[in-house]
Amino acid sequence: MMPEKIHIVTNPTQTAARPAIRISGLRKSFDGRVVLDGVDLDVPTGKIVSIIGQSGGGKTTLMRCVNLLEQPEHGTIAIGDEEIFNQGKVVCRDLARLRQRVGMVFQRFNLFPHLTAVENVVLAQMHAASISESEAVKRAVQLLTRVGLAKRAMAYPEQMSGGEQQRVAIARALALGPTILLFDEPTSALDPESTGEVLRVMRELATDGMTMIIVTHELPFAKEVSDWVVFIDSGKIVEQGTAVDVLERPKEPRTAAYAARYASLA
Amino acid sequence: MFTAMSNLFQVPWNDYVGNIAEGLARTLGYTIASFIGASILGLLIALMRLNRSTLVRVPAAFYTELFKNVPLLAIIFLTYFGLPSVGIRLQVFEAGVLSLVLFYAAYLSEIFRAAISGVHRGQQEASQALGLGRGKTFTHVVLPQAVRLALPGTNTMFVDLIKSTSLLVTISAAELMTNAQLIASETFRSLEVYLVISAVYFAICYPLSQSLLLLERKIQAGVPLSFTRRRRLRLAATFLAEGRG
Repeated sequence: MMPEKIHIVTNPTQTAARPAIRISGLRKSFDGRVVLDGVDLDVPTGKIVSIIGQSGGGKTTLMRCVNLLEQPEHGTIAIGDEEIFNQGKVVCRDLARLRQRVGMVFQRFNLFPHLTAVENVVLAQMHAASISESEAVKRAVQLLTRVGLAKRAMAYPEQMSGGEQQRVAIARALALGPTILLFDEPTSALDPESTGEVLRVMRELATDGMTMIIVTHELPFAKEVSDWVVFIDSGKIVEQGTAVDVLERPKEPRTAAYAARYASLA
Repeated sequence: MFTAMSNLFQVPWNDYVGNIAEGLARTLGYTIASFIGASILGLLIALMRLNRSTLVRVPAAFYTELFKNVPLLAIIFLTYFGLPSVGIRLQVFEAGVLSLVLFYAAYLSEIFRAAISGVHRGQQEASQALGLGRGKTFTHVVLPQAVRLALPGTNTMFVDLIKSTSLLVTISAAELMTNAQLIASETFRSLEVYLVISAVYFAICYPLSQSLLLLERKIQAGVPLSFTRRRRLRLAATFLAEGRG
């Protein structure tokens, strides 16, 4: 029996005109140090937005606000039609449901080390979404097959390479059928070969129409897949536009300096 | 040599098999009841010490430091001989178990606390990002990993607890050591009696600590021990086989 194709992506109730994510006036500080200083950003449904910028500039914090892993101090965040955060308060009634709609992939994978790959993908389906065991396992196997890891389904994280672990993490994030995926420097901890594997999976998701926010230093990849690139520095969006505009014809000197530095590293 | 041996073993042990069996049963009863109690209290204290609020943290820290720095024998005397003067009269079993629980909870709480804080912060974030609430994150993600970290220390404490029940001889708890004392006083052969009783303790503790070590290694190696996990992995194997076929 061939695994049926899994449709994870488009939610037909969302139209292209309505942004999947709408962020406005976001402010956040840690111990008096401002990390987000009035950020506005709309991410249209099915589009891929890359956030680039120096480490410590607020990229990751901005992304972590989208699933409320980080709580901002001011501003509003809406996912689809639903406002989840408004002027200092979480207004999302169902945090679990929000996080089922918004999946996240971490820089350090954060797989559960006491569970096999397949169990990592099963866990949240059963305990956050009340999917039956047999359904959850079936779906986990399909997703692992999809990221090219059917053979490694029974392996534990410590037995896998970084690239394999990150692909399991992507399968795990896809398991609850999110419409939005957040990637926090998904390839920063990987060697070039593993980076290639992970980017291949992400490219496929992009083709399938998943709405994605990617925090990355992989400028060639950002240029290739992104519909929109945002350059953040010191908690503010310094420049944004199409990948070609921001990365090849930056208007701001800070963007140009950053792009030149990372282009030379690549 | 053989005459020395035959001189050494002169106690009619057949007459005392009943005593030893009864003592052993009591010893195990004290051990199991105390270990369960100490684990529950220890986990509670550990969670309190990891709490954000100082008001919760301080009493727990106070508890741990107090019972870690008072001899177990003093705790036994306090609960059995001391408490009656404030109107609390406990049975021998109650006093014995209470003492062991109070004492071992302090040590176990330290082991549990270290284990829980040893689980990487990213684990909780990953779990929350998947939509699991705080309770489920604890039971499905933090706890199983903490158990693995806590196992070596907990196993040591368990075997230590078995041996510590012998201190209950001081309140005539009818466990193994109390029976040994009884046999020794009847036969006047202390060397033989206490050698045999020591051998009985060893015969329990050594295989037990070795089995726990084996269990520890299996768990560290990721061998799925629970029925649920085995079923889940079998199910996965079935779907994987179907995918290939």
